[in-house]
Amino acid sequence: MMDVERSRHSMHPGSSGSGLRHSPRETAVLIATAGNGYPKKSPSMPNFHEKPFTSTNASEPILNSNGLPVSSEYVADNSGVQSLTDGDASLSVIEMYGDEVESRRPENEDGGNLEGDEDADSDELELPTSGMPPTGSAMPNSDYFDRYGFKKQSNLITEQDYDEWWENYSQYCIRRKHKWKILMEKSGLPMDNDSPNRFPSRSEKLKRYVRKGIPAEWRGNAWWYFARGQEKLNKNKGIYDKLLLKMDDLLKSKTKSMPDLDIIERDLNRTFPDNIHFQKETFQIDDPPMIKSLRRVLVAFSLYNPKIGYCQSMNFLAGLLLLFMDEERAFWMLVIITSRYLPGVHNINLEGVNVDQGVLMLCIKEYLPEIWQYIMPQTSSKHFSLNNGTSLLGGNDFLYKLPPITLCTASWFMSCFVGVLPIEGTLRIWDCLFYEESHFLFKISLAIFKLCEPELIKLKPLRNGIGKNPIRGQRGSQMSNGESEMEVFQIVQTFPKQLINPNELFDRVIFKRRFSLNKLDQDEVDRCRKYVSSQRLKYKHYSEIMGTGHRNNNNNSNNNSNDIGIASSSSNSADGEKMAGDIINDALSSEVYGFKKGLGGVHWNNSIKAKVKQMRKKKG
Amino acid sequence: MLQFKLVLLGDSSVGKSSIVHRFVKDSFDEFRESTIGAAFLSQTIKIEDKGSQQEVVIKFEIWDTAGQERYKSLAPMYYRNANAALVVYDVTQQDSLAKAQGWVNELKTKVGEDDLVICLVGNKLDLCTEEGESSSKPKAVESSDAEGYANEQGLLFHEVSAKTGEGVKQVFQSIGEKLYEFKKHELANSKGRQGAGGDTVNVQLQRPSTNDATSCCG
Ligand SMILES: Nc1nc2c(ncn2[C@@H]2O[C@H](COP(=O)(O)OP(=O)(O)OP(=O)(O)O)[C@@H](O)[C@H]2O)c(=O)[nH]1
Ligand SMILES: [Mg+2]
Repeated sequence: MMDVERSRHSMHPGSSGSGLRHSPRETAVLIATAGNGYPKKSPSMPNFHEKPFTSTNASEPILNSNGLPVSSEYVADNSGVQSLTDGDASLSVIEMYGDEVESRRPENEDGGNLEGDEDADSDELELPTSGMPPTGSAMPNSDYFDRYGFKKQSNLITEQDYDEWWENYSQYCIRRKHKWKILMEKSGLPMDNDSPNRFPSRSEKLKRYVRKGIPAEWRGNAWWYFARGQEKLNKNKGIYDKLLLKMDDLLKSKTKSMPDLDIIERDLNRTFPDNIHFQKETFQIDDPPMIKSLRRVLVAFSLYNPKIGYCQSMNFLAGLLLLFMDEERAFWMLVIITSRYLPGVHNINLEGVNVDQGVLMLCIKEYLPEIWQYIMPQTSSKHFSLNNGTSLLGGNDFLYKLPPITLCTASWFMSCFVGVLPIEGTLRIWDCLFYEESHFLFKISLAIFKLCEPELIKLKPLRNGIGKNPIRGQRGSQMSNGESEMEVFQIVQTFPKQLINPNELFDRVIFKRRFSLNKLDQDEVDRCRKYVSSQRLKYKHYSEIMGTGHRNNNNNSNNNSNDIGIASSSSNSADGEKMAGDIINDALSSEVYGFKKGLGGVHWNNSIKAKVKQMRKKKG
Repeated sequence: MLQFKLVLLGDSSVGKSSIVHRFVKDSFDEFRESTIGAAFLSQTIKIEDKGSQQEVVIKFEIWDTAGQERYKSLAPMYYRNANAALVVYDVTQQDSLAKAQGWVNELKTKVGEDDLVICLVGNKLDLCTEEGESSSKPKAVESSDAEGYANEQGLLFHEVSAKTGEGVKQVFQSIGEKLYEFKKHELANSKGRQGAGGDTVNVQLQRPSTNDATSCCG
């Protein structure tokens, strides 16, 4: 069924591929897009890479050295690297730079590094250095593909849109890179090749630089550095190779002991089908090197962490990493992303992603109340309410019964915005994620919502229905928000896809101090995650007591935790009242979340305590 | 215009997204990105009222979901309030039918509505019908088996190919007609109850949406 190379460093002809077929008609299409003598590698890939690497495997990052269109100047710049890599094509970046990479994380974030250089950081400065054309004529297919090999055109962006934008944005990238070079020099970091593996120590200034974008060619190393990848790798030397051996054995033994294998296999060709590095040319029997690497990384991961195994969306995470770094590093970055930045998000029960959606909803309610009304009906449903209309669980029912919009935002987190925004935007987010950690994902989500606002306010705010549950048995009294919810969903789903210019997101929201959402920090997100997950546990408990979960369990032996996070349609308020007494203590003991820097928290906190007291009085 | 919510369910890679894209955009990509979470699309069709011979416009709000097992925990959010469900399997993959049957069971037990229209759809028919091609895959699921099951369970049944487009339109057409039938019935009932006369009374045909003008029948 499939065939995996024993070693990353050797080629095995005749691996059987994925069993997907092409009719003659598709063959023609494929040739038109990917074949026709285009180089197999990225249009952006420096010339020196083509000889040694296309013929080996994809364990080399596509863009590890020069992401900008090739010019003679650039090729000359990289001669140092060339001699290094030419010597041994199979030498990975790690083996070349190895332990030089610092693994410690300097903690002096605000270390007085604001040398009043705010203005010197302006992007408007014209540079003397740039002799490079904004679009590279050196690369034949730069007409269709961007510098990472992605098709420029998408459903919402035409090639012309792209080219017009890129003309400016490529200049911006050049200016930023110049700034970075100066910063590196000032920090005493050598810049003798275009592949730095150490970066300045943490500071507000560096944070700003990262937010304005890490030079594309440095990204692989910079992500690795900021995410402390080397530290992880050093602790686990040899593990990746062992996993590959294990995978090989498994495949040979043919005992189908790995259910994830099939699912991984199905996703390989559905990962970046629009990227030239992931496309299989029809005359190739063998999978492209990138697909082979992707298979190895994903299978190795599922062996490494059986709690997660393989979750659809990880193919995109691994795929993007592989465009910027070698296989082993990509593997460890995947480990880091799924544990440090997105804990639990890819677990079998997806609880982590539900928790994060709860956190995001709390954040929207807190920081973007003007948008909250389009997401959530303004009075909470009666499901958890007592007879006097107070919501038993502090008005935060939405933490368990997540609003429909979270079906859209969940994918933002699972795939870390890959495919959510055009690629340059996604990369800017990844820059910040590895430097600022996971709270940035929430921040950028809020920023997207903020930018959606003009479209959202054209809709009517959601109002609550007639007060009945949206039980299918009572269709006549369903919530009246169905249509609006769809429209909101559609806006939020579509809007980011056409945000071609990442600076729009950054300049209009992230860099604006006056937006309160910029007060959101990692500490807050960590606290908030803990709060939401404990609240969800309480709810689970509650619904078990109430028996709301029974129906599922009776009928569906194999998925018993299904209804967490979904409005359960099977409880009624009579039950609610009966058990209310027992719940009150629990409710009292449950902390209502208050944002430390926000305004709403305090008020909120008081009002719930008052409500619960009231309830208690009533119950006598 | 009548508006209905339709949800697609079925194992990963059976071709749910491909079917939707064939229906909405009339196109097919050999390689389409796997779905993460869900995608929302909409498309309208026209059907004919058999009594009055008038055209009725039906708008489908389509929820395309991710097929991997672990996404199942999110599924109730999609099929809540759904009017129709398209349960898809791959005719070349026996176990995908078993998964589809699992979905049918779940819908029946958890949604349990008499007027939820469920359509069982076998996809990738083209793989089995390419005449004379040695590469043609054996059909792992016999039409008669699947159809028998569908009849037993009271489901609509179709075999389609998202790739060639064969049968796709008909799936939605037949679902639309069935939904319209139900709604007409409901309409007649409510008319009776209200004692209202005339053909153009302001009775809502679709899922009630008391304060959304755009969704009223028109
Ligand atoms: N030959 C053939 N291939 C098809 C057909 N429909 C889909 N495919 C292929 O099957 C694969 C999976 O299709 P998708 O539409 O992505 O499957 P899905 O059900 O949406 O999968 P998930 O998003 O993972 O749940 C793709 O590579 C399609 O090209 C078909 O009618 N004929
Ligand atoms: Mg899909």
